[in-house]
Order: sequence, then C-alpha cells, then structure tokens
Amino acid sequence: MEIEITVNGRKRRFDVEPNKLLLNLVRDELYLTGTKYGCGIGECGACTVLLDGEAVLSCMVLAVDADGKCVETIEGVADGDKLDPIQEAYIEEGAIQCGFCTPGFIMTTKALLKENPDPSEAEIREYLKGNYCRCTGYVNIIKAVQSAAKKLRS
Amino acid sequence: MSSKPAFKVLGKDTPRQDGVAKVTGREIFASDMAFPNMLYGRILKSPYAHAKVKSMDVSKAEAMGAVTLTPGEIPDIKYCPRLVSVPSSTYKDWKVLAEKGHYVGEPIGAVAAESEEEAQRALESIEVDYEVLGASFDAFDSMKLGADLIHEQIYLEDDLIDVKNNIGCQLEITEGDPASLEAADYVIERTYRTNRRYHNQLETKSVLVRPEPDGGVSIWSTTQTIHNTRLLIHDIYGIPMGKIRVYKVALGGSFGSSIHVNPPVTVAVGLALKSRRPVKLCYTREEDIRDHCAYQIIFKLKLGAFKDGTLAGGQMEAYLDIGAHQIQAYPLLGCVVGWWVSLYRLPYKEYVGKAVYTNKVPCCAFRGYGNPQTTWVVETMMDELAGMIGVDPLDFRLKNFIGEGELFWGQGPTVKSIIRSCGVEEILTKGAEMVDWYNRLKPEEQTGRYRKGWGVGRGFHTSSAGAPVPSSIIDFGGAMLKMNEDGTFDYVSALMDHGCGTQDAHAKIIAEELCVPVDKVNIIRADTGTTVYDVCTHASRGVYSGGGAALKVAGKVKEQIREFAGRILDAYPHAVRIRYDEARGQAVVYAEGIEGREVTYRDVAETARQKNWGTAASVESYRQPSCPPHFTGYFVDVEVDTWTGKVKLLRVVAGADIGTVINPKLAAGQVHGGFAQGWGMTVLEDTPYDPESGDLMNGGSVANYKVPTTCDLLDLEDLTVFFADTYEPTGPFGAKGLGEGALNPVAGAIANAIQSALGVRFFQLPITPIRILEALKEKEG
Repeated sequence: MEIEITVNGRKRRFDVEPNKLLLNLVRDELYLTGTKYGCGIGECGACTVLLDGEAVLSCMVLAVDADGKCVETIEGVADGDKLDPIQEAYIEEGAIQCGFCTPGFIMTTKALLKENPDPSEAEIREYLKGNYCRCTGYVNIIKAVQSAAKKLRS
Repeated sequence: MSSKPAFKVLGKDTPRQDGVAKVTGREIFASDMAFPNMLYGRILKSPYAHAKVKSMDVSKAEAMGAVTLTPGEIPDIKYCPRLVSVPSSTYKDWKVLAEKGHYVGEPIGAVAAESEEEAQRALESIEVDYEVLGASFDAFDSMKLGADLIHEQIYLEDDLIDVKNNIGCQLEITEGDPASLEAADYVIERTYRTNRRYHNQLETKSVLVRPEPDGGVSIWSTTQTIHNTRLLIHDIYGIPMGKIRVYKVALGGSFGSSIHVNPPVTVAVGLALKSRRPVKLCYTREEDIRDHCAYQIIFKLKLGAFKDGTLAGGQMEAYLDIGAHQIQAYPLLGCVVGWWVSLYRLPYKEYVGKAVYTNKVPCCAFRGYGNPQTTWVVETMMDELAGMIGVDPLDFRLKNFIGEGELFWGQGPTVKSIIRSCGVEEILTKGAEMVDWYNRLKPEEQTGRYRKGWGVGRGFHTSSAGAPVPSSIIDFGGAMLKMNEDGTFDYVSALMDHGCGTQDAHAKIIAEELCVPVDKVNIIRADTGTTVYDVCTHASRGVYSGGGAALKVAGKVKEQIREFAGRILDAYPHAVRIRYDEARGQAVVYAEGIEGREVTYRDVAETARQKNWGTAASVESYRQPSCPPHFTGYFVDVEVDTWTGKVKLLRVVAGADIGTVINPKLAAGQVHGGFAQGWGMTVLEDTPYDPESGDLMNGGSVANYKVPTTCDLLDLEDLTVFFADTYEPTGPFGAKGLGEGALNPVAGAIANAIQSALGVRFFQLPITPIRILEALKEKEG
C-alpha cells in the first residue's frame, strides 16, 4: 500500500505491506534507530514516537495508520545541534544510564509537557507509567521532567 | 571521618560523555547495527523441557533459500560461556547447538535469510523428531534417586566427569569451633526460598557478526566483556585471536546477564562463517525471557546467639536451582558462603552448597551474584534472632557487623582481604537518627486495615575480585592513555560501561590526576584489537579496578609530561608543578617561584612532536590488591493494606559507603535503581513454571512479568540517599564500587518492614499480596 508520512518535518512516501508496523518502518527503512524495540507488545514504551503530537507505541501502530500524519521520532527533537530543554534536563539530572529507554521517555515527556506544562509529581508519574526503566528507579527521570517543565515555562 | 584530599574534578556533577548521543537517539546499540548484504538469523529452540533431537530435516528451509545450521556443523566442543574464573574452577556443559533440549528455549538449530520474516518462515519449515524425556522443575526432585539425568557427563576443565543426582557441582566449608554454636543460648533454624527473577534488561540479547576476508570475524554484541567474547569464539571455532575483532558498542542494560557470552553470539558466528555474509541476530522479548534469569536458591540457615547479643555461629545449606546449564555455578557456591560469613562475625561456620540441574532456563548473575538472596535470608534471621534475645535489631547488627581491620571473604573462600574502610556504623546510626528508629511503632501496636511497619537491612558487595594473592577468579584490567597535540587526552579501555557512567568515572580520575577539566579527557570506544585485556565489567569492579588502571596510566603519562616540560623549562622533572589555567583553557607546567618558567600541555605536546621526542602515552595492565567491600544500609517504612495484601512504600532512607564519591548524581542513581530492583525482587517478580508444558507460566510474555513502574515507587521527597564519609586507601582517589551493594540489602529491609507491620514473617520471595493475605488468614483467621 502506498502511504505518505511526514517524518521529523519531511514528507516521505512508502510502499508497505498492510501488516508493517510503524516501529519497523522507522527502524528498518528510515534507519532512525533511536526508536527502540523493547517488547513488541506495548508493555515497555521504548518504541514511543509522537503521531500528530500524541505519544503512541510504534510497535502497536500499523504503518498504514500513519498515512497522512506527522511522525516525530527522537531524532527530530533537537534543533540541529541545539538540544531541546527536555534533552538537556535528562543529561543534567543524571536521568540516563544505559540509555535504551531514554528516547521513549523523552518522547513521552514531550507529549506530557505539551498537554500539561506544569504537571505535579503524581501527574508525571501517571503519564510515564507505561515507560519502563530498569536502571534508574525513575528518580532522576522524574527530576528531569520537573526541570524540563520549568525550563520550558520560563 | 576520613581525611580526604580536596578534589578539583571528583565529587562534582559532570555530564556524561555519551549523554548527547543517548538523548538524541544517535547512540548505537548492537541491535541498531546493520551492514549491506546482511542476513537475519533466527534460532530454532527446543519446545520441550527435556527431549533428544533424533533427527532434524532442514531441506525445506534450504529450498526456501535460507542458510541453515545444525549441531553437526559446529565443532564438537563443550564449553562454559562465562570465562571469569580459572579453568580448574570451570565446569563445561554447553554446546552452541544442543543435540538435546535441556529446557524450553534451548538453541538446537539456526537459519539465516534475507529478512527476519523469511528467516522465521524457514525456521518454521524445519522438521524435528524428538524423543521426550522426563523433566524436573524443582531442585529437590532433580536430586531424587531415579530422576532422569539432565547431563550425564560434563567437563571440569579438560576432565570428563559423571554427574550424579543432577548435582552439577558442590562446595563444603567448615571453619571455627563447633562448640561455640552448641553453646548458643538462642538458636533459630529456617528454610527460605528465593524467586527466579528475570533481568528484563531493556535491550534483548543481540549480535551482528561480519565475516572478514582474512577468515576472521568482527563482532558487535550485547556483552559485558569484549575480550572474553573473543576468547570463547576462539575456543569454539578455532579462529586465531587476532582475526577475531570484538567491538565495544553501547549496552542496553545487562545487570549480569552478559558476563557470559550470550547464545545468539555463538550461533551468529556459525551462521556468518557458513554464509560468508554479515548476520544479525536479535532475540525477541519472548526469546530473551527464556534465555536467562537470576539464581533461585533454597537456603537452610541456622544461627545461634548468646545472651550478650553476640553471634555464636551458624550452619548454612544452599541449594542452587541453576536450571539446565552451568554459567559458572561453582564460583557462586563460593560467593554465597562469602556473602554469608562476611556480614557478621561467626565464631563457627559450616556450609554446604549444591548447584542442582533442573529443566529450566539457565541461571546467571543478576546484580549481586547471589548476594541479594543471601542477604535477604541473613537480614531476615538477624531480625528474628534479635527479637528472641530481646535486643533492638539495629543494635544487634551494630554489635556483630564485620568492619575495619577484619578479614573479608570478598568473593568466596579464595578471595580474602582486610577491610580498610568501613562506613557501616555511620550509615546505621545516621539513618536511625533520620527515621527516628528507636521511637518507631511496634507490630503489636498495629490494628485495623492499614498497618505500618519499619524495617532495616544492611549489606555490602565487593568492589572487584582483587586480592593480595591469585585466586580462582581472574581480576585485572588495563588502560591506554595518550596526550594529543592540543593538550587533550584520549583514554582507551576494554572495560564495558553498562550505563552506570563507569567510563566517565575513569575520565574524571584521569582528569583529577592530570589537573585538567574532565572534558579534556576523551573516552574512545575501541575493540579487542586495540585494547589490552580486561576481564569483564562485573563484581562492581568498574570504578575500583578499571579506575585503578586509569589512574596508573594517568600517573605514567604525567611523568612523561614532567619529563618533557622539564627539558623545555630547563627544570627538574620531579620539581615542576602543574595547575589548570582557566583563561588559557590549558593545564600549565611550571617551576614554582621562577618567573617565565611555564609551559602549557599543548606546547609540551607540540614541542615533543616537533623535536621528535614522541607521544606522552602509556598502556598498562593493572590488578587491584584487594576487593574492598562497599557497604549499604536501608531504612524502609511501609504500609500494608490487610484487605488487599498490597504493600505501599512510605519512606526510604538509604546510606552508602562507596569511599570517594566521583559523580554524586550518577552514584545516587545507582542507589535509586538498586532500590527499585530490590522492590521488584521483594514484592513482584518471579518466573514460575508450568510442569505440564515445561514452559514459563507467563508464556514468555512480559505483560505477565511485572517490574516496578513510576507509580509503584516513592515520591521524591520520601526517598533520601546519603553517602558515608570514607576513603578507601587502595582505591583510585579513595573510591570503591556501588552497583551491587545498592541492591543487596533491599529485600531484607522491606521484608523486615512488612514483618514489623503484620507480625508475620515470610520465608519465600516474592511477598505477593496473595501470600500476605494467606499468612494473615492463618494468623488472624
């Protein structure tokens, strides 16, 4: 099936099988490997991307369902070499360890802060509960989201 | 209190060098790699827990265009995939592709094809005729007379030995005077059973292998040790070592599950050699959960104490349900006794450890290598024993802990050293003050639906497996450092960073020694061909051992800089001093008090280049003389809902003695992560088996393997982490490890808190809501 998707601001055209997952399109055909495979069943959040600004699990979305929409991956978050305040905050707060979950967390954080620029800790925890991290115990991630929210508000 | 030198770089938060790559999606993990003309590999797994492969027909797969690999095509060698111990302590029962499935999920064949989908279709076309054998899913069933032998013969080093009663290996140690235990005023004897946890590291085991024109292979894989990967591939396939290049690549979590060479690596090498094309092989999550798990241990522990609150001695039996293969279970038997006897002074200790085969997923190290399990058991019994004697459990610990000046068994009976730095007292007394420990609620004061409990647990882990004499565990590493012509430095090491910021810690150690900011030290990602040997990043040795090697080369390079600068300045090398000049952005070597006699690092390097003196560089191997314990302690407050059995965390205070703190936020992050994993271990995680199918009850789905989420843990204000003020004299600038100690006492502390809330003690992990409700029903009706 022929589809057209705007990926990180650029229109791209693909001819895909109807069962092709958005995750596999992004990783295997666009080589945007920042979006990770963690479980393939929507449990871990490592494959989170933004679809028309909304955080979705790309392992649970068919590529054909993204037709005509905008997909933003982790590679599209920074403006050239200038990091997004969310990315800066993740580095500054020590919210990264192995880094495999980090892209998914940043995409979810981006969706959260767009919806709710001043979230409480409970709201952050609720919004991020679908993203697994096995290294950090989430403490520095929550701090990074708080710090990013503050940066973006000012 | 320690008398620490004032540091310029250490102890301050600095951004990690891989940070930008990791937040922009540009960090490359093994599972992200691809090459032109690459094939995708898939592994055929045994669907039975115990079954002989009578025949395998791959003709349909080959007709589909797939490259196939069967057991007969691989050198007939039995090996152990974990090469951390010396050969005389290494039992070997693995093959790349097994002729008999010993567990559901064991690799028995493989294919490679143009796409993952084609590879999967080819895999499904393979016809296998099995002879199903009797299987065992419990260590005690396995040891029964008449149980089917899972392995009949295995190798110890190069000797073929018969396996009896499915016991893979065993260890017995007795020390001290048994009369001490016999004279005890109080004795408790209990049986404990730990859970079979799955690491659930975010990146599934993955590898890319490229065959090279010279007959060798290049490998990018999920590993904690590039050099041991090379050793094993050499042992199995006979490729000369120089033609095997194993490259460092970012690792998406591991927690001990890639100390051994993961099965996809050995299989993908076989596929690449046969197809002469690059082969990528990544496990699905469902495969990964059937690939590795933590050691499940059944303990029988007896401890005795005197009326004065000192311990009289103890006996421990540890039955390791190791699953279907040994990933060096023998060293673990030694470690378990080491963990036990190094917590508290025992005038008499008697230990029997047995590693027992079952038809389950093979166990491997999981953050702590048996220490979280052992410490849960000991800390649970210490609380119970304190109650029997009538002393406060905290005071009981303070009276009996092994500390400075005492012998530490480190990683088992062959790894002994003397403790030189110890923050146990500071951790326990400061923590007690912070939580108002001595005024806490007592279990008998608790009624109603919600009940609160307070618990303490303490522990340690070794930092490395170093010791003054050689032991059965190999522990040395190495590093290379060179000064560049702009006055910056390139640091090269084989030591893998799991994400803890270990290599950044090394860069800071080098920066401290060379008087430069850390951004002047570049961490270069290298491979086996360009690094000297490092055993593995395990045993919390990254900062202590790897940092020791980094400090050694930094010291050597500093000597050469002094030598070159001395020539330039017409000054004595040993007399020149070094400072960092912010304005020039350069370190400056100078002769103190003599005007004009100074030169920047950049000018030293450039002059050395122009005058053909050479590069200030050093490459060294390094072995640490000790394995200093890093100590940790947790105070945990919980609330238990007696209607639902759910345990909620209210407050946690964690103290850690890691010597000099190199990067405070990253160090705290280790404690946060250790606590979260301990919470999962205590109340959530297990992988039980269905004896009918022989497979995991969760069917391989992580939807049915719950790990802690953001909503299961504490609010930020309810978690406090502090570091003891200590300095380890043998460590690089006083530093010790932390990774494993951060987890080890957690289960004990939480279990003691639950006991304190309910007045009920649990002897099996995890302490799930169902187990809590059952126990309450039994107690209160």
